Amino acid sequence: MSGDDDVRSDGGIAAGRTSAERELKRGPVQRWVNKAIKDPQRVYRAMFYVATIFFLVTTLFPFYFLLVLAITPDTGALAVLPQLNTLQFGVFLEVFQKINFLRYMLNSIVLALATTALVLLLASLAGYVFGRLEFPGRQPMMLLVLAISYFPPAAFFVPLYQLFTGNVITGVNLYNTPGSMMLPFSALFMPLSIFILTTFYGQIPDGLEDAARVEGTTRLGALFRVIVPLSAPGVATAGVLTFIAVYNEFFFSQLMNNGQPENWAPIVGGLLSLQRAGQFEVTYGIMAAGSIIAVIPVAVLVVIAQEKIVSGLTSGALKE
Amino acid sequence: MARVQLEHVTKRYDDVTAVDDMNLDIDHGEFVTLVGPSGCGKSTTMETISGLTVPTEGTVRIGERDVTNLPPKDRGISMVFQNIALFPHMDVYENISFGLRLRNYEKEEIDKRVDEAAEVVELEGMLDRMPDEMSGGQRQRVAIARAIVRDPDVFLMDEPLANLDAKLRVHMRTQLQRLHRELDTTIIYVTHNQAEAMTMSDRIAVLDTGQLQQIAPPLVCYNEPANLFVATFIGSPSMNTIEGEITNDGFASTYGQVAVEFDPTAFGLTPGQSVTLGVRPEDVYVTTLVDDLAHPTAPVPTRSDVLEPMGDEIFVYLVTEDIAEGGSMEEGSDPGEILMSVDPDSDVQEDQEMDVILDRSKLHLFDEDGEAITHGLVEAPAAASGPAGTEVEGDD
Repeated sequence: MSGDDDVRSDGGIAAGRTSAERELKRGPVQRWVNKAIKDPQRVYRAMFYVATIFFLVTTLFPFYFLLVLAITPDTGALAVLPQLNTLQFGVFLEVFQKINFLRYMLNSIVLALATTALVLLLASLAGYVFGRLEFPGRQPMMLLVLAISYFPPAAFFVPLYQLFTGNVITGVNLYNTPGSMMLPFSALFMPLSIFILTTFYGQIPDGLEDAARVEGTTRLGALFRVIVPLSAPGVATAGVLTFIAVYNEFFFSQLMNNGQPENWAPIVGGLLSLQRAGQFEVTYGIMAAGSIIAVIPVAVLVVIAQEKIVSGLTSGALKE
Repeated sequence: MARVQLEHVTKRYDDVTAVDDMNLDIDHGEFVTLVGPSGCGKSTTMETISGLTVPTEGTVRIGERDVTNLPPKDRGISMVFQNIALFPHMDVYENISFGLRLRNYEKEEIDKRVDEAAEVVELEGMLDRMPDEMSGGQRQRVAIARAIVRDPDVFLMDEPLANLDAKLRVHMRTQLQRLHRELDTTIIYVTHNQAEAMTMSDRIAVLDTGQLQQIAPPLVCYNEPANLFVATFIGSPSMNTIEGEITNDGFASTYGQVAVEFDPTAFGLTPGQSVTLGVRPEDVYVTTLVDDLAHPTAPVPTRSDVLEPMGDEIFVYLVTEDIAEGGSMEEGSDPGEILMSVDPDSDVQEDQEMDVILDRSKLHLFDEDGEAITHGLVEAPAAASGPAGTEVEGDD
């Protein structure tokens, strides 16, 4: 409006020059603050975006950098924003050419599926017992089962290693077999599934089980024909969580086999072999590519299953 | 043949005896209703018959076969539940055919039977609906269809109409009776609804605190209750009970001035004995409005307290005089209060002094333990023709 001489050194406006109300001189931030005071929703919205962006960046940046790492040639310079003309995507094929990476992935998926099936079967039986039957000592037993999942896996390793390599019972040699991994996986991840399924099975009305039994099923038949289908969202949740947990497991996956694909070594073994893909140098690029490929099955599963779980929960399958 | 027998069946939970030495013998094709207040053990009795609960002691026989330890599926029964209990993840066809499919019937046989059952309960054309798309009455009919499709020996119904609205309940009641006639199977029915029990059953089994009180045809339970519990439980509104004692020349009430003259020895009573007199509201008459009663008692001076016009009759709460002054206002049955039902066009007002008489041939006398002594307090000559003395005890 008028010249700088109107504004005093402390930022205030010289008094007395005019009595008329004047438009305050504001910068963009001041204008935003002024609007925000009139409409506080703007602040919440802004905070929401700030928080969302923060979480997205912190979660996704490692993935982004993994991608950059993979497609930047070993000879090129590593930068957060790589030079587009030097990128090479052939590294994703190289992963499969250098080693039998497909076999490692297959091992992982088979181990995860088999463990999930085993866990769901046993956890269903346990969930039925804990969720639907009354017996003395139910609470303490449930707590005991849950407590197992809190133990550090490392605490089990030495005795299990001794057992699986045949040092405890001669003739029992599970090292380098799927059993050496599935057994500890099941034991560690089953408590969570039992907990989830107990909650779900406990909510199915007694009348439905009674009706099934009168109609001609046994208790087990009622469990698998009526209670499990009605608890589909819970079973799906338990299954997906178990699958992901097993697929991502590192400790036993790495220690219960010698890292060879034909010995049921899962993806961990594959990535460690990729580390040795080059002759003298550590080949970060190809490891990064392998890691990205390894993520894909879980990412797909989560996207599909989440939709299923949410739709299952909202369709009111438990309404009587 | 599917006779259902319970022999000394007892079911104990930790510290509660839900069913206590129950003996029942239900004939093939009979419609027996178990009634009683909440927690009387009627549902537990039903569960022991269905096999959902194993009795602590005793034997359950269905069709002369000991089924005490057999699972429900091997008992030849089917059941309709109070909460209907349709499988929500199956459509009507799948719900009805569930039991048949478990028994590996041929597809054509299943289709045929499902169609027949759907026809009986008038559900044609709804076989592909899901339970949550149906009304309460339709769901109930699906549940009944599911029960009849297997052609069971025994039908168990655990308060099947309890969750329906009043109008639908009456409708389903007649449908169930028709069904019973068509199917000719044994039906055991649990309810706390008197109207259902009275109208549908061949016999009513009245239960209280896990014990069988009386099993008899509905009108026998009504006219000749075995004990005070059955007397007050069957009938709505329930029977008036008047405490008193036997005097040298009859009965005298503790409160009020209810007196009945008779010879105590004719009924095996001794003077001084505490007894309870029972009289149904419809057997109480206003002296001035009735003159042709064959066996009236002496007039009882009372005052009308509250009137309840029901349309087809009026319920009058009578207070006997000395209580009106004493002002006893306890919860539940006031010791001096008598309920009377009169014609709707009778000229009765609230707060009106009136003498009432009781029909002696319809009086019931119960001893200190509540067991019935006699039904009909008429002197010996008339008693021979009346129903007096035909006691129905609560044994098997």
